[in-house]
Amino acid sequence: MEDSVFVRRLCRAYAAMLYAYPRDFRLRYGVEMRQFFHDRCRELVRAQAPSSAWVHFGMRNLADWIVSTVRERRAARKPPGMRKLVQEWAVTLLLFLFVTTTLVQAYVVPTGSMENNILVGDHMLVDKVGFENGGNNWSSYVLPRRDVKRGDIIAFRYPEDIRQTFVKRVIGVPGDRIHLANKQVIRNGQALEEPYARHGSPDIDDDRDNFPTAAAPAAIALHVRDGEVVVPPDMLFVLGDNRDNSLDSRYWGFVPSSYVVGKPLVIYWSYDAPTSDYVNWNFAHLEDVALHFFTKTRWSRTLMAP
Amino acid sequence: MPKVDATHLLPLTVPVFHILLALAGDERHGYGIMQDVARQTNDALQLGPGTLYGCLKRMLAAGLVEESDERPDVELDDERRRYYRMTDLGRSVVRAEARRLAGAVTAAKARLGLAGGK
Repeated sequence: MEDSVFVRRLCRAYAAMLYAYPRDFRLRYGVEMRQFFHDRCRELVRAQAPSSAWVHFGMRNLADWIVSTVRERRAARKPPGMRKLVQEWAVTLLLFLFVTTTLVQAYVVPTGSMENNILVGDHMLVDKVGFENGGNNWSSYVLPRRDVKRGDIIAFRYPEDIRQTFVKRVIGVPGDRIHLANKQVIRNGQALEEPYARHGSPDIDDDRDNFPTAAAPAAIALHVRDGEVVVPPDMLFVLGDNRDNSLDSRYWGFVPSSYVVGKPLVIYWSYDAPTSDYVNWNFAHLEDVALHFFTKTRWSRTLMAP
Repeated sequence: MPKVDATHLLPLTVPVFHILLALAGDERHGYGIMQDVARQTNDALQLGPGTLYGCLKRMLAAGLVEESDERPDVELDDERRRYYRMTDLGRSVVRAEARRLAGAVTAAKARLGLAGGK
């Protein structure tokens, strides 16, 4: 017996409705359920059922469909299954490892050398792929990147001890001529206007506020021309925003551009604790966080871009 | 038949009980089960495909029924269908359930003063 167009359409609609069932259930019973539905349709046709019987049949099937999809979905969800659990976490873990090793690095600021723009206890993510020389060259084909500019805040490996990461502001790029006169930075003959800089004391300390002097480190002294430091190729000259209390290029020289880790992206948590707690991790700090998490977290800084 | 303690599976839901009854004689495919259940209950219980196969899935998992082979049903058409048959466990479970129900009906008759029979 040949099926009518009506029956064929009904069966096709029912086949589509089967997609509401969990995948496993559909794959196992879908064929049989379609056969079942088809048989029922043909039986109604054979009995020359009135249209009211078809409506009744449709309502019944709809109710059956709703009740059983809900039940099967719930049954499919209940036992999560070890295999599934491992699969899901494996993906999460791989993604996490990829992100944390390649794209970003978590970093805690231990000192106040960048105050008041970056505070002690700022926990930040550093974008490792935003700059040229950021270390990962393959990503330049995929992600936008640019050269380090004057005025950028950068995270970099401290040249004297590359295990430490510092965050400072770039003042000079290769070719720039720089000197400081009574705390004022003069770059390429122009006095910089630096709204970000903070001066903690009115006193003038010669090696710090007039630069370079004879006390400048050897790395700097090699590049002094006519009382100005000339930034050599592939090097950066950096200063902390907290000018009077910052261990920066004035004291230890240039940052090789290959030492740049990246650009501070976002402060995900800022917690008010002293430098000592961040330099030497200790249990007292853990206790302090547990007790004062809500009061000593600087909520206004959370999710702020430095 | 091996003696199996099936009391932990009782009471059965109404569709499961009737599906087992439908398989008490011959093995049947899904549509055949539905037709037999409708006959048993004077069309009071008409199983939809979702309910029927949901029940069969759970009954297979519990070991009450098992899959037989796939073969065409000569009365319907020449499409191949999967047949189901009752296991020994299924048989003892449906018997236990029938006894439980019979006990309940007897008690109901005594309390409600219903005449014996239909």
